[in-house]
Amino acid sequence: MKLTRRSFIKAAGATGVIAVGATGSKPMLQALAESNGTEKAKSMQGEWRPTVCQGCTTWCAIQVYVVNGRAVKVRGNVNSKSNNADGKVCPRAHMSLQQVYDPDRIKTPMKRTNPKKGRNEDPKFVPITWDEAMNEIADRFLELRKNNEPHKFVLMRGRYTYLREILYGAFPDLIGSPNSISHSAICAEAEKFGSYFTEHNWDYRDYDLKNTRYVLLWGADPLASNRQVPQALKMWGEVMDNAKVAAVDPRLSATAAKADDWMPVIPGEDGALAVAMAHVILSEGLWYKPFVGDFVDGVNRFKQGATVDPETFSEKYTYGIVQWWNLELKNRTPEWAEERSGIPAEQIRKVARGFADAAPRAISWLAPGTAMQVRGGYAAMASHALNGLVGSTDNVGGAIRKSSIPTNGIPDLKPFMDDIAKVGNDHKKMDQRGYKEFPAMKKGKSGGGVVTNRLADGILQEDPYDVKMAIGYWNNLPFSCSGASRWEEALTKLPFFVHITTNPAEMTMFADIVLPAAQSVFERLGYIKSKAGTIAWLAMNQRVIDPVWDVRVDETEIPYMIAEKLAEKGFTNILDYFNSFKDPETGKNPANSWEFTEHVLKIMTQPVWDPAIKSNGDQFRGWQEFKKIGVWNSEPYKFRNKWDDFGTDSGKFEFYSESLKHALEKHAKKHNTDVDDIMETTKYTARGELAFVPHYEEAYRWGDESEYPYIFFEHRSRLNREARSANCEWYQEFKDVDPGDEKWGDVAKVNPVDAAKLGLKSGDNVRLTSPTGKIECTVKIWEGVRPGTIAKCYGQGHWAYGRVAANDFKKHMPRGGNNNELLPADYERLSGSTARHGGVTRIKVEKV
Amino acid sequence: MPNYAMVIDLHKCAGCGACAITCKNENNVPEGMYWSNYIHRTRGKFPNVRYEFVPTLCNHCEDAPCVKACPVGAMYKDENGLTLHNPDKCIGCKACVQADPYGVIYYNEEKPHNFWSDKEEAIEKGTSSGKEVKEKYDAPFPFYNPDRAKTYAGVRPKGIVEKCTLCDHRIKDGDVPYCVASCPSGARVFGDLDDPKSEINKLLNKYSYFKLGENFGTKPKVFYIREF
Repeated sequence: MKLTRRSFIKAAGATGVIAVGATGSKPMLQALAESNGTEKAKSMQGEWRPTVCQGCTTWCAIQVYVVNGRAVKVRGNVNSKSNNADGKVCPRAHMSLQQVYDPDRIKTPMKRTNPKKGRNEDPKFVPITWDEAMNEIADRFLELRKNNEPHKFVLMRGRYTYLREILYGAFPDLIGSPNSISHSAICAEAEKFGSYFTEHNWDYRDYDLKNTRYVLLWGADPLASNRQVPQALKMWGEVMDNAKVAAVDPRLSATAAKADDWMPVIPGEDGALAVAMAHVILSEGLWYKPFVGDFVDGVNRFKQGATVDPETFSEKYTYGIVQWWNLELKNRTPEWAEERSGIPAEQIRKVARGFADAAPRAISWLAPGTAMQVRGGYAAMASHALNGLVGSTDNVGGAIRKSSIPTNGIPDLKPFMDDIAKVGNDHKKMDQRGYKEFPAMKKGKSGGGVVTNRLADGILQEDPYDVKMAIGYWNNLPFSCSGASRWEEALTKLPFFVHITTNPAEMTMFADIVLPAAQSVFERLGYIKSKAGTIAWLAMNQRVIDPVWDVRVDETEIPYMIAEKLAEKGFTNILDYFNSFKDPETGKNPANSWEFTEHVLKIMTQPVWDPAIKSNGDQFRGWQEFKKIGVWNSEPYKFRNKWDDFGTDSGKFEFYSESLKHALEKHAKKHNTDVDDIMETTKYTARGELAFVPHYEEAYRWGDESEYPYIFFEHRSRLNREARSANCEWYQEFKDVDPGDEKWGDVAKVNPVDAAKLGLKSGDNVRLTSPTGKIECTVKIWEGVRPGTIAKCYGQGHWAYGRVAANDFKKHMPRGGNNNELLPADYERLSGSTARHGGVTRIKVEKV
Repeated sequence: MPNYAMVIDLHKCAGCGACAITCKNENNVPEGMYWSNYIHRTRGKFPNVRYEFVPTLCNHCEDAPCVKACPVGAMYKDENGLTLHNPDKCIGCKACVQADPYGVIYYNEEKPHNFWSDKEEAIEKGTSSGKEVKEKYDAPFPFYNPDRAKTYAGVRPKGIVEKCTLCDHRIKDGDVPYCVASCPSGARVFGDLDDPKSEINKLLNKYSYFKLGENFGTKPKVFYIREF
């Protein structure tokens, strides 16, 4: 594909503009007649229709302007009451127009005709009908069930709406497979670990930006990436007027660029900063006494190096402040942290004091950068625990939770589950969750959470057993998981793989059957739940235009169609179950896959649209009105309603985590060992009681410094629609809105000091090599990264997905290189998370 | 008559680029052209580094050199103080491009939006082509905005120039320019410079401001307040 790149304005500075004007070589008059669209338009005859943007995890309620059946523009839903109201939305949402009309979308079901799989194999896809596709898929399911091995089917879920309850929830259950494997652990489970084992909140926090006086960001870049980008964009001017902002980030991020303090931490050493700040807050008596309590006699005994008698301190809403001090904090001085983190002690002190002075209106904003590290579980706890020290948790101007969003579950499926399915469902899951080395303790339960990235190894090692069939939807695991080459091998090994996708993704290239998915903003049905600025909302994905191609809704229509085919062949349970979903208004059973989808949606969202049900938010006159408005808003969040009982084992905000102790001991017991052994197995250095408090752990890195001199770290793009937007021309044309990045490019950002050593200049092509992989990209010399570290944005490096995303789609040539081919597959094992951050690997750099 | 101008609050601006992207959307601007654009730079030495981002657009200068340079009157000042371009008069000589010190006028060297004429398919018969998608719709390209054609060529043809009109088609209907409407940070304010009560005058009275290329003698009407 030929894409021209006309020159664009490059100017040296704000007051001395040097124009490099666009010039052409043909100054001739051209016939106006060849133009399209020069006709004087009739007045615009369009309509704003509500739907949802899932370009990041903010999940904004938006509206699409539809003119003559075409989607023309996008804006925030004006009925939204959160801070992303006013019809405003971040740059991502607009790019969705180039996704739905992307010429590289899959337009028909396809079948592989080349049995050989691999990156360099042309799958030789040929179009087939939906009926042919369903026929083949149903036969495979029946074969598995006939052999009493339905558990050898794996459903791999990526992004989702809550209609996931059908394809990810009910469908595998009724087939007989426990293997519903979600993508959650490549997202941010380690972050939830931090707030769960301090205050029993396995969720992302909301932030009361309106009332805050200090924002301390831990690898968070709210002006650019999740989880509430439009609220941050809207509020940041006001935040900077009213509050101080400090950004802990190894890269000069979009938010760090506007912060009062940038703390370019050595990747993976975030925990040192967090415990040193806690040390300052305690030793200088700056903690928030109405929340934490005080020494009985009011005399501060938190003196450096001193062990404190717990009896001398009377805690209020917290638990274990003295134990935390004694076990971890007493010698964690800013000077000690400076050596590890690279951040001057004085800056640590200044930020800690500023943060505590703002108490309780001070936010410690935990994000994947600090949490999704091999030893990030405790860094997540430590940075979140700062909210406890300043009493900002669940408080005005602080880090808060969300109002409840009332929804219904789906009807009971047990009566439809046969014996083959019951036996199948009893097998272990393929992602090795709950193994000794993968505690994945979601909500404190060993094996309670997913270990997404381990599935590839499960498949390759046939541990716990071999997989014979898989369906993947709304995901692209060989692109989005670190150790990406393992996924290429695992997918090559799979005997039968179905990919439901909008685009020919990297994952699609390994599929036996490809099914075209309805695009999430414009063509599907679904609903999401989210929160920002004290408002929680439920919004619906709606079909706002006729689908561009013959697509189906992944989560509901496709399982329904498979169920129809299974019924035709004699296995009727699933279709019987699906057909039992009655329309809550008419009582009618569904007649087809679309009606089924509508019924699921109406059933699940009934508590918000049914006028007979009182909700804690907007009331509607009925389904039709809710559809038209498209979003339900909660009442504003009520602060401090968790203070009296956080739900932890102690009921308090835990600085000494009885909850974590309990969880670790249970996991150890399950494997007939002790917690120290679990710590060692999961790559943590803590022994004894240190495992139960937020503490410093030295960064874990792959690669020997002598062979791999540079610490590599990655970050997110403000234009990534979760790595699905690289095939949009606008993504490429505006890639330089990520500080340090280049249009149409994929750059490794190198400090000038290192560039000089390496003899590199901006624009040079380089190969980056880690102990597990290598990629090629371009160099950008930039002061926004620390000497000794190299930063690169995630999102480019597609060798498939489309002709814009890839440098040469047909030759599988990537545009730049995918970070995940460089990053080793490693984990924050206590949460099951993929450890993509914290400088998990060292690399070497060679000019090519 | 009003004298339209814009104030951009760099303190509120988050450098997200929504202005530049949505401008393309509103005005059907082809690939490689940036009616709404930005300048960014990184200054200083690690760790004392500053990143700056300045959104840019046509300054709708009171003394517009592009207007003076145009030999056929295609580039002109309208009664509302906007610098506009008449595609029917334009001969594509690019004198305006040469005269414009801000680099905001673009020349259509090729047929615009040729992405949508392309016949190549990534996967033969399995995926589509630009041409095939375009032909499903009665429009120059699928998300073409017909509103743009109310006052200007909906898509500007090969051989002539094009530029920001401050969304004169929206202003005419009482709306604000699309970059203002879609800025998620509320950093852009549009209004009448001759109306002392306008929001932009309030801001210009409250804050000190600068303009781009003030020494060019062009009297630009895009004002910047505060710091990024």
